Amino acid sequence: MITAERKPLSEIKEMIAPYRKILVVGCGTCVAECAAGGEKEVGLLASALRMDAQRAGRDLDIKEVTLDRQCVYEFIDQLTEFIEQYDAVLSLGCGAGVQAVAEVFPKAIVVPALNTTFVGETKEAGLWVEKCRGCGDCKLGFFAAVCPITSCAKGLFNGPCGGSQDGRCEVDSDTPCAWQLIITRLEESGRLDCLKKVHPAADWSKQQGRGPRRITRDDQRI
Amino acid sequence: MKGESRLKKVLQEGSFAVTAECGPPKGADPRVIEKKGKMLKGFVDSVNVTDNQTGVVRLSSLAACVLLLHGGLDPILQMVTRDRNRIALQSDILGASALGIRNILCLSGDHQSFGNQPQAKGVFDIDSMQLIQLVRQMRDAGVILGGEKLTEPPDLYVGAVENPFADPLSYRVLRLEKKVAAGAEFIQTQCIYNLVRFKEWMEQVRDRGIHEKISILGGITPLKSARMAAYMSDQVAGMDIPDEIIKRMKSVPTDKQRAEGIRIAVETIQALKGMKSVRGVHIMAIEWEEVVPQLVEAAGLTSRPEV
Amino acid sequence: MTIFFCQRIDADQDAHRRPLEKELGSRIRFFPLPCSGRIEPLHLLRALEAGADKVYVVTCLEGDCRYGEGNMRARKRLAYAQGLIEEIGLAKDCLELIHVPAGTTTIDKLVKELLARKAFAGPVPQAAPGQARHQRQL
Repeated sequence: MITAERKPLSEIKEMIAPYRKILVVGCGTCVAECAAGGEKEVGLLASALRMDAQRAGRDLDIKEVTLDRQCVYEFIDQLTEFIEQYDAVLSLGCGAGVQAVAEVFPKAIVVPALNTTFVGETKEAGLWVEKCRGCGDCKLGFFAAVCPITSCAKGLFNGPCGGSQDGRCEVDSDTPCAWQLIITRLEESGRLDCLKKVHPAADWSKQQGRGPRRITRDDQRI
Repeated sequence: MKGESRLKKVLQEGSFAVTAECGPPKGADPRVIEKKGKMLKGFVDSVNVTDNQTGVVRLSSLAACVLLLHGGLDPILQMVTRDRNRIALQSDILGASALGIRNILCLSGDHQSFGNQPQAKGVFDIDSMQLIQLVRQMRDAGVILGGEKLTEPPDLYVGAVENPFADPLSYRVLRLEKKVAAGAEFIQTQCIYNLVRFKEWMEQVRDRGIHEKISILGGITPLKSARMAAYMSDQVAGMDIPDEIIKRMKSVPTDKQRAEGIRIAVETIQALKGMKSVRGVHIMAIEWEEVVPQLVEAAGLTSRPEV
Repeated sequence: MTIFFCQRIDADQDAHRRPLEKELGSRIRFFPLPCSGRIEPLHLLRALEAGADKVYVVTCLEGDCRYGEGNMRARKRLAYAQGLIEEIGLAKDCLELIHVPAGTTTIDKLVKELLARKAFAGPVPQAAPGQARHQRQL
């Protein structure tokens, strides 16, 4: 899923400082999974903001809403009936969700409560690890399902580097060396020969695009 | 093309080569490099200049190599893929050759988080293996990545590094083989303290016939102190310093430790000289370049061949 | 004061807390739980928002949770909630975790002990003229 973390409260407070009536909108998909922007987190943030305002003698009126997905029009539309009553929208969606809401309601002031980070997996309860950098040209088949771009700090396609030690990355000893893992897996499945040939340089244009990338499917369009 | 690689000639005629490393300054003063060059001249066949080693901003390797050239030395341009994309790398390869540099060492480079610019974007457009292949392709086929023809190919002797002491150990020889297949012509290894392990590695290298396809130069870094030995052993990934060496350094009073470190280095060089498939030594005396002439002398390598 | 507590602490907690609820009225709220691990940071913040100036989470001794790690989860979640309230300037000891061996006391005895800890003799009556509600630090 897409992972994110809540911004420090001071940053959020600064963004909503000019406003009295705030619509706090969460998302029930990715950010709920990583415990950053789901219904519970919306409740926690709203509660903290209300208590903070009360202690400072400030007026603050908050409505809490959590959409199933904040990046899809059909769900965002559910805000239509009451959004105009609010001065600002504090979105706990990922970057895509925040912007999607702003596009559906161009007159609304929408600010982000989260710092969106990476595409990852829930490795265990409370631990999310980055797995994919969206390069647009998946090579996992060549590397025993270990992404060299994401999991190798130097993004080597012909690793390992000289700093691999005890299966750990020299840059961060908490991080396993991706190339150790690739080699181990290939060795165990008798496929080490796959590494004999020099893997060629990547086509980074597939990741960079010419500005924001897009996907269109005519068969899916109305 | 004017000028030829002295290193290539020395190795081709079968002499035991001596190369050393030269660290550029953290400033714009060319005299630092000129001084180091003067100190090394005559004692070594070629001089490496590091490329923003450890991600620390220093005078560029390319510029420093040109300064050494003017001083009459044969520089080895170290080029990392951390800081430049393929456009810049290929451009610098052409520029280096045009300026008369005849040797290049291809590396991925230390991660930017180690240096003094940890917020910099690590480029890593291509890796060291792809860079080796690229330089060979530019030189021998006269084309850049993608196949477009160059008007004049660069003339560079292509080298790479390998660390016999890094994990996964069993894969290190295969990786060296891959570098040979990619086109590397000489190798400088990570610094050697554990001769037993190095000899084992060389045996595997010989078994696969790699020593005949590529010139291997053993890396040497003289220890300055027992503290340095302990630090390197603990903190530097991919470093193997046996306990006996650390004990030896510790057994000597602090003011005598440098001399002991030099003694150990000379012994290691002698051992490398005695190994028939090792074609030379690469001395990495980081910020201690003054010790190189002493080491070369003590190891009986001062008569550099006439080429 | 709001008190979340594991029901195992006092098997007869229902009977024991009624007289206290009568005596203290809105100044105390009891939340019996099947396990302290049921607690969530949101419950703690909502309790503070509702006007409690002290929230207790009472758990069984570590290693003695009948569900295994329930009380350890309670401890971590309380710590997380403390971080959140510190961000808005509340002292982290507005939330406090206490371990009580199951069956060694009754809920009303425990609460009376906790009330006696407070710096003031008792809660400030809301109607008292000219008196601000103090933030009690323990």
